Amino acid sequence: MSQPNTNSHDHHDHSHDHHDHGHPHAPPAPDDADHYDRYEVLLQTAIRELLDEKSIITADELHRQIDHQDSLTPAIGSKIVAKAWVDPVFKANLIAEPLKTINESFGLDISTPLDLVVLENTPSVHNVVVCTLCSCYPRMLLGIPPAWYKSVDYRSRVVVEPRKVLAEFGTHLSDDVEVRVSDSTADLRFLVLPYQPAGTEHMSEEALAELVTRDSMIGTALPLSA
Amino acid sequence: MSDRKVNDLGGQPAGPICLDEHPTTLHEKRVDALQKLLTGDKLQAFTTDAMRRAIESNTEEDYRSMLYYDKWIRAVRDLVIEQQLLSAKEIEDRIEVLRERHKQTGSL
Amino acid sequence: MSAIPPRPGQALAEGTSVIVRQQPPEPHCRTPFYLRGVKGEITQVRGCYRDPSLLAFHKPGLPLRVLYRIQFKQKDVWPDYAGNPNDTVVADIYDHWIDPIAE
Repeated sequence: MSQPNTNSHDHHDHSHDHHDHGHPHAPPAPDDADHYDRYEVLLQTAIRELLDEKSIITADELHRQIDHQDSLTPAIGSKIVAKAWVDPVFKANLIAEPLKTINESFGLDISTPLDLVVLENTPSVHNVVVCTLCSCYPRMLLGIPPAWYKSVDYRSRVVVEPRKVLAEFGTHLSDDVEVRVSDSTADLRFLVLPYQPAGTEHMSEEALAELVTRDSMIGTALPLSA
Repeated sequence: MSDRKVNDLGGQPAGPICLDEHPTTLHEKRVDALQKLLTGDKLQAFTTDAMRRAIESNTEEDYRSMLYYDKWIRAVRDLVIEQQLLSAKEIEDRIEVLRERHKQTGSL
Repeated sequence: MSAIPPRPGQALAEGTSVIVRQQPPEPHCRTPFYLRGVKGEITQVRGCYRDPSLLAFHKPGLPLRVLYRIQFKQKDVWPDYAGNPNDTVVADIYDHWIDPIAE
């Protein structure tokens, strides 16, 4: 591997909100001219231009792929969870055959070489997901993972001290709950199906989806209450 | 310890988890899209497993300190060369052209 | 996409107690260090997949490997585990990294 450019330091505007709502994506940040001298930006541009010139990946194909990726947000996952909360038959089918059920019920066409597993939270089991070896994540349902999910600290700590990590997210679980950490080491991807909060039984599917945060589908948070 | 690879982090000492987030930048989206298309059904230039393998070839220090998408684009570079889609020379030559373009025009 | 089902008799049954092997990792390895030598239980047989350690080098990844979801008690993984003794970790491990053990 070529040597890293150790002078580079990426300064992104940090949003201090915790983006754990399934609301629509913000518009892409404009190219920051100050960063054009970073090796990796130059490298990306060089590879992109060369592949386009050789018609291996055209600029148009790249744009379409970016647009497709932009369309994948946690709102997709939230709708699925909300439907599972109101419809017990859907929920059973979702757990038994996740991708087939999602594609049929929502008219989607999520085709992927990967397999989806739905992990149901109950009063006695709380699921949380990690990829200790890299950053595997159910992108087809939740979009791009947050930086913390990909961080060395989360990947190192959540398998060995999950309750302490969850507490850092403001999530406290009682001792009679089993915390079950799923490490995505292969081609399975995991969606946590959060436990429906008390007092929400009367709510519409649409309103329930608003309670289902991205982090509750990873397992580091509980869904919002009514 | 050679039995634990640099990416094999479960249980390793670590610190507080930074919860800051930023919207994905255009550069990051382009890196993501490039690797998705190169590993996708149409091109099958290389596998996601190969991407992971390339990223795991970093030193422990680099693996832990480098930006996420920097590791990805460097792995893409290694693999397009390994699979002979592009040569190291033509990539580096183009980077020099881009540096010059940036110097002259302020953009790429 | 569903994985290819195992051949009859190819896979260990759900509920089987297993131990993760302690062997040198492949150049690309998907069995985490922290689980090696640890005993667990097969909770799901997830079908057959190409071997990622070979796919990583542009090889076909054959023969197919059975993939198992294996559940471990945290107190078996970490000697000083401080949480609830019922806490668990589940990982997806390929057949050439586990051996069945007598309970």
